[in-house]
Amino acid sequence: MFEITRYESRKRVRGAYLMTVGFILLAGLYIGLYPSFAESGVEFETYIENLPESVRNVFGAELSTIEGFLAVELYQFLWLLLFGIYLAYSGGGLVAADVERGRLDLLLATPVSRARIVAEKYLSLLVPIVLANLVLPLAVWGGVRIVDETISAADLFAVHLLSVPYLLVCAGLGLVLSVTFDRADIAQRGGIAAVFGLFLVDAVTVDTDYEWLGTLSPTRYYDPGDVLIEGTYDVTGALVLLAAALLLLLVSVIYFQRRDIN
Amino acid sequence: MAAIEVTDLTKAYGDVVANDSLTFEVEAGEIFGYLGPNGAGKTTTIRTLMGFQSPTEGTATVLGRDVRDDRALREAKRDVGFLPGDPAFDESVTGEAFLDFQAKLKGDSRREELLSMFDPPLEREIREYSTGNKQMLGIVQAFMHDPDLVIMDEPTSGLDPLKVETFNSFLRRERDAGTTVFFSSHILGEVRRVCDRVGIIREGTLVALEDIDSLLRRGGKRVVVHAKEGIEAADLAVEGVVDLTTLDDGAQFTFAGDYNDLLDILADYTIVDLQIEEPPLEDVFMHFYGPSENEHPDPLGNESEGSGTEPTQDVEVEEADV
Repeated sequence: MFEITRYESRKRVRGAYLMTVGFILLAGLYIGLYPSFAESGVEFETYIENLPESVRNVFGAELSTIEGFLAVELYQFLWLLLFGIYLAYSGGGLVAADVERGRLDLLLATPVSRARIVAEKYLSLLVPIVLANLVLPLAVWGGVRIVDETISAADLFAVHLLSVPYLLVCAGLGLVLSVTFDRADIAQRGGIAAVFGLFLVDAVTVDTDYEWLGTLSPTRYYDPGDVLIEGTYDVTGALVLLAAALLLLLVSVIYFQRRDIN
Repeated sequence: MAAIEVTDLTKAYGDVVANDSLTFEVEAGEIFGYLGPNGAGKTTTIRTLMGFQSPTEGTATVLGRDVRDDRALREAKRDVGFLPGDPAFDESVTGEAFLDFQAKLKGDSRREELLSMFDPPLEREIREYSTGNKQMLGIVQAFMHDPDLVIMDEPTSGLDPLKVETFNSFLRRERDAGTTVFFSSHILGEVRRVCDRVGIIREGTLVALEDIDSLLRRGGKRVVVHAKEGIEAADLAVEGVVDLTTLDDGAQFTFAGDYNDLLDILADYTIVDLQIEEPPLEDVFMHFYGPSENEHPDPLGNESEGSGTEPTQDVEVEEADV
């Protein structure tokens, strides 16, 4: 078991390292900006107050504290959006790219079930997920200390741990598209659009009559702001996301077992 | 038990019928050539046999397992080797890493033996491979788990002539050791040299199923001869010469007789140029199985794979091999 995951994972290591380094650099940049940002905090809060409510909800947290600043700048943007998109994009390529190039034939010819192929390929996305979630909290912790601020280690750990189900859902969205379309670029672009679209749906419907629409979005079940600013952990939300990720995997497997591969 | 048993197999992609009610068997321990022009539906049959797609109607068994039963077919695949047409690999891994991966999934008891005959540069990334090297890597993976049945789609394409010879004699040894081989080709000569039996497919339909001796009798070579003094048509009125056309300085015809008779005749001339080559497959069909439906449009307007879309000049002509 897991031969396919191991093989696919090896191919992902390099990309995962590069991505993690990129995240560290971005995190360093944000944290480095924080002291000067905190000084001008009053002006910025006035600016936020003047934004329309729906826009304020997208960015609206307490930016004047390091926790609020990290939640908005780093976790909302970098983690929820950028990392989510990266995984949906990677998920979109998992199967479709191999089908498109004809590379899947030699794997399908082996005595391995299609279900196993799909599931093991999906699991290979744990490489970037685990690596980034192990390294980035350490980098953030260190960065925050360097600018003479403090942050709760438990909350920092929790914000990363609770993000894993969310990230698995993003990868799962890409996977569903990947088993559906024979062209990788369609599946990959579809994955990006799905994650970005769902992110926006949740953000702009908060406190409106259409708030229920946001329950379809994975971002509704994981809020880095709640964890970092208020110290509350939405374990139920994480379980909902984990169930959704499993469902997406199951749907992908069932569909992929039935279809023709041309 | 037949190694492959195809029964009324039909595969349609939308309105296009790529395989139309095919029925044939491949006996255990034979080399079976699946011959047809490009676009005839050979790959469609192979992909159905491998379980990559389901039949529209009818079915097939591979080593006794029904291709519609995913679980059963998976069991059969332990003993099946497969080489796709124009095989595609992960470009970013080395040949060695690819074989290691395949070995974990199906075994590799004969890897070293195969690598002594087919030797792609294993330590290099596959992105650097030539077509021939990719083909050799494909051949090694197809046979390395010592399969009972090997299914191959155009196995010699991209191989240099020496490797083709190595491959052909390897196939014969495998056959003698009991392995069943099923491979597709659009080159008549190749099928002639190694196959015991041949199925000919055209426009999705099986038009002939025969042993190689009958095909040899029915076949023929395209001969073009140029002589200083020109060729007298009367001299060529011997058995085996058909479709004779005289040229200003020579003649062109299809020859299915004894080469020695032909050479005796030509010995009286001062030969400037002599070509003896495989006839294009479409010509063979024209001679022996009648004109294709392309020339006589189906009154019902039924389409089949290849009609109108595959130019016949696509058919490969082999260089003289005498």
